[in-house]
Amino acid sequence: MESFEAFLDDGGIVEVDDDMPDRYRRAVFSFIEMHANSELMGGLTERDWIPKTPGLRHKMAVLAKTQDEIGHGHLLYMIAADMGIKTREEMLEDLFAGRGRFHNVFHYRAETWGDQVAIAFLVDAAALASQQAVFKNCSYGPYKRILKRIISEEGFHMRLGEDRMMRIAEGTERQRRMFQDSVDRWFWPSLQLFGPDSRPDDELLRWYIKSERNEVLRDRWVQKFVPLLIGYGFTIPAPDLRYDENERRWDVGPIDWEPLERTLRQGGPDSARRIGEAAENWQRTAWVRRALADPVPR
Amino acid sequence: MRLTAGTRSYLLAFADDEHLMGQQHTEWIGVAPFLEEDLAFSSIGQDELGHAAMLYEVILDADGVSPSDTAIDALAYRRSAADYRSCRLVEYRNGDWATALVRHWVYDTVEQARWGLLENSTMSGLAGLAAHATREESFHRLHANTLLDVLLQDGEARERILSALHRLETQISGLIAPIPGENEAVSAGVAKERLCDFAPELEAAIGTRFGVCIRLDAGEADAEFRLARSEDFGPLMARMREVLDFDPAATW
Repeated sequence: MESFEAFLDDGGIVEVDDDMPDRYRRAVFSFIEMHANSELMGGLTERDWIPKTPGLRHKMAVLAKTQDEIGHGHLLYMIAADMGIKTREEMLEDLFAGRGRFHNVFHYRAETWGDQVAIAFLVDAAALASQQAVFKNCSYGPYKRILKRIISEEGFHMRLGEDRMMRIAEGTERQRRMFQDSVDRWFWPSLQLFGPDSRPDDELLRWYIKSERNEVLRDRWVQKFVPLLIGYGFTIPAPDLRYDENERRWDVGPIDWEPLERTLRQGGPDSARRIGEAAENWQRTAWVRRALADPVPR
Repeated sequence: MRLTAGTRSYLLAFADDEHLMGQQHTEWIGVAPFLEEDLAFSSIGQDELGHAAMLYEVILDADGVSPSDTAIDALAYRRSAADYRSCRLVEYRNGDWATALVRHWVYDTVEQARWGLLENSTMSGLAGLAAHATREESFHRLHANTLLDVLLQDGEARERILSALHRLETQISGLIAPIPGENEAVSAGVAKERLCDFAPELEAAIGTRFGVCIRLDAGEADAEFRLARSEDFGPLMARMREVLDFDPAATW
């Protein structure tokens, strides 16, 4: 492990067929598997509202965005499967059996169109910041190459979300009230997407999978989105929110991590429906996969 | 070129079919049998929605209305149910994937023929649009055929697919039935000939593809078919309009 870590410290990039310590292989695999699951479950969260998108051309853009998310999942499952720990099918079976992990935000339900916009604006921005931080010094070559594409597409998603948010901000009172409710629902889950403060011995940091600590990324998101939302006339659902004039920075106050922990136990507000419906769909279409895997006349 | 009421109705039928077919395909994202199919169905759905938007544009141009997003959406979402000209095949609610696949194959087989009727259209913009769409349709058909080539070899899959085909027989007849205004569109040179004349060819193609014989009832008696909406239209349109109806004064 020492020589491997020295190799990583020198900026070494690990490829799929290279020798690597088992702990590194498993840690990277789990990280990519969770990223893949999150892209897929995020697509499912958005899917609920695609048929209701207000406008024909608008729908084409929203559909393209969700297609990108599913496409990211597709690419990530492939590079994860190449690591030889689980096949793509095993990862999906685990996910639909409630054994897979995915980001906290996708354990929540998009209840209104405002939520769909908030996901593209707040959640995608948080995910993008995390992915950029992974891409920066990523030691696992296949992941770094896939992230380059994911990040460029996520940038478009965030801009789509920002553009739609601005239309709402300049829109009618009903639209603004709808989006304020969405901010109230999605602000904390988005912020919690970065996770609690990184442990001092975080192996993902030591092995150059993550390049920045969770709390640094989280704070950067707060400093960007709190003033942006306030600037557009929305309020932040943080009773202890304050602006420190001396340090010129926003402080959202104490963070309640209990909702995040609930999602880790698959006990989020929409976890059961989300996983249950996905499992049911998977089961309902099993005949297609069986027939394609065994294309012999019978 | 000003549109006669008949020709306008004929073009609206095509636009409405593309719109609703695209809408139905979009609902498969995330729930198709495997990830590649999520992506394929949503790509095809985007193409069909794009065709719908371009056909609505052609109609608006002819009406002398600037084809803004608002004007396109007014045509796409704001007409009364009786003013739509969609066929029942595209209104039919999504169910199992075998039905989605059969509908995809049948619709795109007919769609390719439909664009072929417009490739020398006298109407501005239509011939170019037909050439563009025909290129995309060849990929849609390749997609459906590639799946069917394999799935029809499998006992259970074949049974599901043939049962879906028989379930859709009436709706397929409605797709190929005479379209209100079609004769005017042919007389004006907007379309080369009537789509219902393609019925024997479609019957033969279904026979070759699925190995079964179905008789399409595409006679003149069905000419009223597109003038009334099926029971699936209301819930589908209500879902599509939910956000628009939330605040009719809003811009999204």
